[in-house]
Amino acid sequence: MIRDKRSEYLAALVLVGPFIVIYGLLFVWPTIQMIALSFTDAPLIGPGEWVGFENYIDILNHRLFRNAAWNTVYFVVLTVVPNTLISLAIAMAVNRLKGWQQGFVMACFFLPYILPVSVVYLIWNWIIDVQYGLIQYVVRPFNGGEPMSLTRTIPFFMPTVAAVTIWWTLGFNVLLFIAGLRNISPEIYEAASLDSAGRWRQFRRITWPLVWPVTALVLTIQLIAQLKIFDQIYLFSIGGRQDPTIVMVQYIYKLAFQQNKGGEGAAAATILFAIIIILSVLQFQALRARGQK
Amino acid sequence: MADIVLKDVSKSYGQVEVLDRVNMHIKSGEFIVFLGPSGCGKSTLLRMIAGLEAVNDGEIHIGERRVDQLPPNQRGVAMVFQNYALYPHMTVRQNMSFGLENIGTDKAEVSRRVEAAAGTLEIEQLLDRRPAQLSGGQRQRVAIGRAIVREPQAFLLDEPLSNLDAGLRVRTRVELAQLHQRIATTMIFVTHDQTEAMTLASRIVVMNNRKIEQIGTPMEVYSRPASRFVAAFVGSPSMNFLPVQALEDAAGRVIVKAGGVSIPTTLAMSAAPKSSGDLTLGVRPEALRVAEDGEVNGRVSLVERLGDRTLVHVTLPDGTEVVGEDIGKSTLEAGRDVSLKVEGSEIHLFDADGVAYHAD
Repeated sequence: MIRDKRSEYLAALVLVGPFIVIYGLLFVWPTIQMIALSFTDAPLIGPGEWVGFENYIDILNHRLFRNAAWNTVYFVVLTVVPNTLISLAIAMAVNRLKGWQQGFVMACFFLPYILPVSVVYLIWNWIIDVQYGLIQYVVRPFNGGEPMSLTRTIPFFMPTVAAVTIWWTLGFNVLLFIAGLRNISPEIYEAASLDSAGRWRQFRRITWPLVWPVTALVLTIQLIAQLKIFDQIYLFSIGGRQDPTIVMVQYIYKLAFQQNKGGEGAAAATILFAIIIILSVLQFQALRARGQK
Repeated sequence: MADIVLKDVSKSYGQVEVLDRVNMHIKSGEFIVFLGPSGCGKSTLLRMIAGLEAVNDGEIHIGERRVDQLPPNQRGVAMVFQNYALYPHMTVRQNMSFGLENIGTDKAEVSRRVEAAAGTLEIEQLLDRRPAQLSGGQRQRVAIGRAIVREPQAFLLDEPLSNLDAGLRVRTRVELAQLHQRIATTMIFVTHDQTEAMTLASRIVVMNNRKIEQIGTPMEVYSRPASRFVAAFVGSPSMNFLPVQALEDAAGRVIVKAGGVSIPTTLAMSAAPKSSGDLTLGVRPEALRVAEDGEVNGRVSLVERLGDRTLVHVTLPDGTEVVGEDIGKSTLEAGRDVSLKVEGSEIHLFDADGVAYHAD
């Protein structure tokens, strides 16, 4: 069918227009403002003087910045790959179930995902409580019979919050993996069983490569989400020493909203923004290349 | 190469019975076609031989071994699936060598067999491509190639031509027949297409409603159908069926009477159905030819010109529609009165239970 090019163009503009306006107003413009702010010594509210790269130089020399960067990377390492692997394992198990059982189990795994972070915090704060927490039954034998606060003992803080985060968010990944697994025709597995491929070989040579695009997607979504980690870390560290477990977004929050250093906060945010873009693009490209190999 | 024997094989899913005590002896090297309408259980039976469906009851033997409790890979069979089921992320070469690698065949041997199969199927130039880069016909060849390299005792093919377009289907059919002649391995081929069955099979297994209706060579199934179902299912256009009564002539042969017309046949009265009520006459279009001295009169309702012959749809006085044949250069037109001559030696009679009695 031949259509009038101009009217097509107009229709496209009408449909895309609102998005472009909102995106520009709420994302592009604030981002430009943030980058501009990072080159000034402005407080949180009001203008400031141009200081060039001073904020960046200052921040990179902050011990707390390096601490935050390290903690963020540590948290990413603790969550991204484990979450992805656990989600895949659960998805494969759920995929073997049939009918209502599958729906029920899937719902069970998805349920935590719909909880707000404050509820997740309260549930787990109760579970890990030193005095009456359920988890102390597991902790005590490893701690000479004594209870231990997992969120007040610095080496255990990150792994604990990482575990809670995995429990909270894996439902969504499980869902993505199940969609990916359902895309693999059952006949391919039948062909493989005629081809003498055992369970493990079927996983390694068929399931894993065929579900790889979903894995790459899940890894990338996870990477971005965990680089931006703030809520759980902040909540679990309330009332304790925050600096040893500080993460990037928390550091930005501290600079901008607690120390009233708008310029430095913007500089730290710009650095995180750049890190997220670079890492996620690199990762996605690397994963895609692996998939095509 | 091995015989395949099925003894009282049954299958049900819960309360639903899919196959009811199927018995069959497939001789080594035969090309067997399971033919039947959708849902008759033919694909299930094939999948049971392959080991992809459990057998509820009965035994399956391949060669000397009873295999019904063995996993698919230990049965010595290879399967070609309807949608080919190629591994989409592997190249053609990897698709073909996967099965051999899994059983630890050495690399040189794998490579030799893949090259040989690719040569046989003329797909050497496709070995480094992925399935997505192949046409339907090429994928089909790769699927067959994957089966060939395993050098199985039997090939199981589940409607392998149904996803090809008409022209390619005919060509592939011919190639498949040639391939079978060359490698002479037992092949079991499932289809609902009677042309494929007639052209490919050494023997056809006609299935309907959970049971085997008839096992026979294509010509046996065509000219001596065991039941009314087989008679109706095999042959295109389909056989004509008319309700008739059977009478005996002076020579002890059956005369059938329908709508006041008597048609002499060569069927002996002693070989005819015992009860003469509720009989059905079956006559194929080629045994119902347009002729001036025909016994059956009616009016032409439709003429289908096929070039070499002409199919004439005729409405009989009682409203029954039959299809007869005329020569290729027929001058008949719709609306004309016509008479059809029944070839008495090519008629079939079916009793109330659908059991067939043949004039020939």
